[in-house]
Amino acid sequence: MIAVDKNRPSPEWIESLRRRYPCEKEMDRVFTRKLLRRAGPGYSPVSLQTLCDSLQNLLKTQLDAPFEIREPRWLTGGASKIQMAFKLDWSQPGVGRSLTPMVVRMEPAESIVETSRLREYQIIKGVSEILPVPPVFWLDEHGKFFPYPAIVYGFAEGVTKPTSGVANVSGIGLNFGPALRKPLGKQYVEHLAKLHTWDWSKADLSAFDVPALGTQAIEWHLNWWERVWEEDSNFDIPLLRLAALWLRDNMPSIDRISLIHGDYRAGNFLFTEHDQRISAWLDWELGYLGDFHSDVAYTTLPYLSHYAEDGKTLLASGLMPVEEIYEAYEKASGLTINQKTIDYYHIFQAYRSGVIIIATSYRPARNGKTHQDLLLAWIMGLGYSSNGYLRDKLEEVA
Amino acid sequence: MEVRPEIQIRAMIKAMVDVVLPAVDPEQKMAQEQARLVIGTLGLIASRLPVAYRFDRDQLDRYVSLSHELVALDKADGGGQTVSKLESLAERGADVLQRARAEPSELESTVFDLRAEVSSLLQSLHKSSSPEKWNKVNRLILDASKMEIDRERALVVAMGFEPKPGSIPPIESLLPQVNG
Repeated sequence: MIAVDKNRPSPEWIESLRRRYPCEKEMDRVFTRKLLRRAGPGYSPVSLQTLCDSLQNLLKTQLDAPFEIREPRWLTGGASKIQMAFKLDWSQPGVGRSLTPMVVRMEPAESIVETSRLREYQIIKGVSEILPVPPVFWLDEHGKFFPYPAIVYGFAEGVTKPTSGVANVSGIGLNFGPALRKPLGKQYVEHLAKLHTWDWSKADLSAFDVPALGTQAIEWHLNWWERVWEEDSNFDIPLLRLAALWLRDNMPSIDRISLIHGDYRAGNFLFTEHDQRISAWLDWELGYLGDFHSDVAYTTLPYLSHYAEDGKTLLASGLMPVEEIYEAYEKASGLTINQKTIDYYHIFQAYRSGVIIIATSYRPARNGKTHQDLLLAWIMGLGYSSNGYLRDKLEEVA
Repeated sequence: MEVRPEIQIRAMIKAMVDVVLPAVDPEQKMAQEQARLVIGTLGLIASRLPVAYRFDRDQLDRYVSLSHELVALDKADGGGQTVSKLESLAERGADVLQRARAEPSELESTVFDLRAEVSSLLQSLHKSSSPEKWNKVNRLILDASKMEIDRERALVVAMGFEPKPGSIPPIESLLPQVNG
């Protein structure tokens, strides 16, 4: 038995986790890197000047013509990455001299979700064929130019919540109001259907391992989250162990592989208020190849919902009643939802929420690894209602 | 329960030092001073919190001893009438001291050890149990989890994550009643 200090993980322990929970190659690299760096320094504030200097160095390797970085400023939003908006005065290929609004999205020292910038870059490049997403321009995969790995995006117009609205942190429990629900809800479901029926095989997704039909995708994914639980949790929770065992025993088989967003919910898309259009889908870092039920189940989780004005109708992701989402999704995608598989993925998603919110929110905050430790400490409070839902769902299927 | 003051205070200090204080106008002297006082006070709380319980227990121990000595001194020369209240309070103090033996950190680490061992056994039983036995194990864990989660949700209901916060009972009603 290896004595474990999770704040200073030993090479032996890291290797034991890699063997015990085999994941996709790129995710294995990301998790291993996280643990190897864990005992290192916490996150120190990075100035706008530092980010601009890093950006300047990156762009010098990418652009031949003169350019200028203008109007840098911080962006808030999201608990996982650091974001700086700026304008680039440059000779844009095919366009000419332009002033283009852009965003740098950079990792902190350790994040509430440790993911791959390369996967994020590839997935957004790919889905730009079918969905509104911010254009991605450049990637600093290993933090060669920036203090940590980063992506440079085009700035997408829009807001995550009505300018007059109220929401909890990270868009959870976001209330769009009655007038916006219908137009946004329709696009919300249509976009999900488009994503899941898209032929991803022609896109460059080299950072993704393609699972075989059957149960390989969910098996890799269970390995992913069980490994993260082992790496990050501060104490054990028998309920989560019970859930993991149940999920292993009941893995559903798939006969098609879809590209999964992984965090498809209110708060992760932008919309323009004047025309009520979804203008950009964000936060693709949890994307993977797997079962479409996974996203459909996630977006209908009750703890990501709120009640309508009547106090009775639960609105999934603040947009539509659950049954309406299922119906509209089947109509738009031509795919048939299996309720038993939705039940499975509701349990899976609640388990994953527990891992992220209780284990991974804790560990970086404990070690001062992010720019938003206080937000992570706050988000931990959601873990108990997601665990409550997990428990009730396990009781239903027991 | 992971939303613990140690983590929250540490994160508050970091937010104040890294984000809030640098954004406070240097010309607003009072705001600057107050921000620094908040950081200092939080730092003090964070450093004192782990010893607060031991400090109080030590204090009680010393006062029980002092009281006993005073009572004994008074009784030795025929007094005693005036110290009966102190004597009774010292006995109560000694009783409290007797019951207040474990450190909060010991309480926490023992809970953690039990959690880990329950989880480990759960995984072993999953491999070795008959379906009937496993169903019973399942039931035990689900019932225990309900009690645990009810308390955790009640503890953090003010954070605003509950769709129906009115349905969550006050935490005080879910914990054992205590005197004092």
